[in-house]
Amino acid sequence: MGSLVFPITNKKNKMKKESGYQWKLGMFVIIGLVLFVGTIYFVGKQKNLFGSTFELYSKFNSVSGLEIGNNVRLSGINIGTVDDIDFLNDTLVIVRLVIKDEVRQFIKKDAIASISSDGLMGDKVLVISAGKKSNVIVEDKDQIASKRAIEMDDLMVSVKKSVDNAAVITAELAQFSYNMNNGNGALSKLISDEQFGNSIKGTILNLEKSTTEFKRFTVNMNNGKGALSKLVGDERMGKSVDSSLTNVKTATKGLNEVIEAAKHNFLLRGFFKKKKKEEEKKQEELDNLEEEQMKKELQMDVKNDSIK
Amino acid sequence: MNTTLIAKKESITTYLKETFNDIGKVTLFASRFFREVIKPPYEIKELIKQCYIIGYKSLPLVTVTGFIMGLVLTLQSRPTLAKFGAESWLPSMVALSLIREIAPVITALICAGKVSSGIGAELGSMKVTEQIDAMEVSAINPFKYLVVTRILATTFMIPLLVIFADGIGVIGGYIGINIHGDVNLYRYLSQVLESITFSDIFPATMKTFFFGFFIGMIGCYKGFNAANGTESVGKAANSAVVTASLSIFIIDMIAVQLTDLFL
Repeated sequence: MGSLVFPITNKKNKMKKESGYQWKLGMFVIIGLVLFVGTIYFVGKQKNLFGSTFELYSKFNSVSGLEIGNNVRLSGINIGTVDDIDFLNDTLVIVRLVIKDEVRQFIKKDAIASISSDGLMGDKVLVISAGKKSNVIVEDKDQIASKRAIEMDDLMVSVKKSVDNAAVITAELAQFSYNMNNGNGALSKLISDEQFGNSIKGTILNLEKSTTEFKRFTVNMNNGKGALSKLVGDERMGKSVDSSLTNVKTATKGLNEVIEAAKHNFLLRGFFKKKKKEEEKKQEELDNLEEEQMKKELQMDVKNDSIK
Repeated sequence: MNTTLIAKKESITTYLKETFNDIGKVTLFASRFFREVIKPPYEIKELIKQCYIIGYKSLPLVTVTGFIMGLVLTLQSRPTLAKFGAESWLPSMVALSLIREIAPVITALICAGKVSSGIGAELGSMKVTEQIDAMEVSAINPFKYLVVTRILATTFMIPLLVIFADGIGVIGGYIGINIHGDVNLYRYLSQVLESITFSDIFPATMKTFFFGFFIGMIGCYKGFNAANGTESVGKAANSAVVTASLSIFIIDMIAVQLTDLFL
């Protein structure tokens, strides 16, 4: 009896012990494998290895360092990856994109592919800009247009231009400030010359004084009782000046008539005739002088020509 | 003068001879392993038991070290990345360095310490106490029963332990990031997975198989070839750890070169 029971309990114990570690080992192995497979699945999903996808092609002159596996974006969302980059000829590179099938409806035939950078140090990304006019959805293995990427070299060229300009400007500025500090011009004296400054200060002080004087003068003009101020401000004075000027006008008219009468008077006629003759004579002499000068100049020109 | 020179020369030649002898023996040992591994009968039960001892029993140690590696790596890299304003790259950096290099090598070194020394001491003491001879007498192939199972177990369990270390290390990194900042777990994991590619995972996983194979083989070789005497057990265990650790670094270097060449 005993000999029968013993082996059975022994075997049971042994089985218990074996299954005790076997299930632990099984769990350990399964969890490890699940972790590994899960990682591979998720990494693959990121690279679009699983799930339905479609292909698009785009040609570029330069891909600016785009690499296989870089992301493809539409409106900033990752929708696929760059699957292949190959030379088409000596100037063209063809890029194959693998994109999730579910976003195909958003990409139209006139969509444009361009290459941009993910941050300053980041990877290159291929950005698809949605088309505007077309309503036709792209097909599998379609080709979409591309836009030239802004390359670092282009950027550098424009930066260099700006820097060159800046160098010229700063050199000019340096020269300007040097002149300012050491020159004799009015502006530099204004800045550096103490004497000049003092004299300007004096001038300004004088100006200030004269303006105060002028202020007083205008006040007096407006409110004073002197002749000038009355001339400016007093209406009655104005009117009386006006009437006196009218009187002067009539008086001069009368005087003109008197002079005309005097010209025709036999006592004074001789004097006026003499005056007229003298004037005519002066005019004749002037004309003669001008003619002689002209002749001299002509002769000089002829001489010069013959020497030549 | 002359005699010392001659003695030195002799000692160098004997050292070189011993080294080459050892390498030859190891090669023979390995080729015997490959021969025995194909030939039936298969010691499945013993293999499972060894897998349990080597894999499952090492899990707590590997988990703790993996977690600490992830945490410390994150905390240590943070200041440098913060200098460049690139703290958002922390998850990808930690994940890449863990998966590509740190987790495989550190886990393998830990296992070299724990498993290789264990195998060396166990087989060494069996050899010393003539249990291996007794096995041969009772018609059990000791090489198949003791060596093949252990080497297979280490070859398959070390990669699994490394995967665990990767996973736990990434979680440690998550906690490390959240000590200073605040990153959502989903965002963290998606950043980690975004940065990893197959060319990161496969070479790293491939080399762990070699790590495992060498850890098991060196432990078994040292134990199986232990000299008679109790002290040789300790010697076998010690030299198993040293040689296995060194071989891990050498394999790592070769793996990096090969990965560079092909990927």
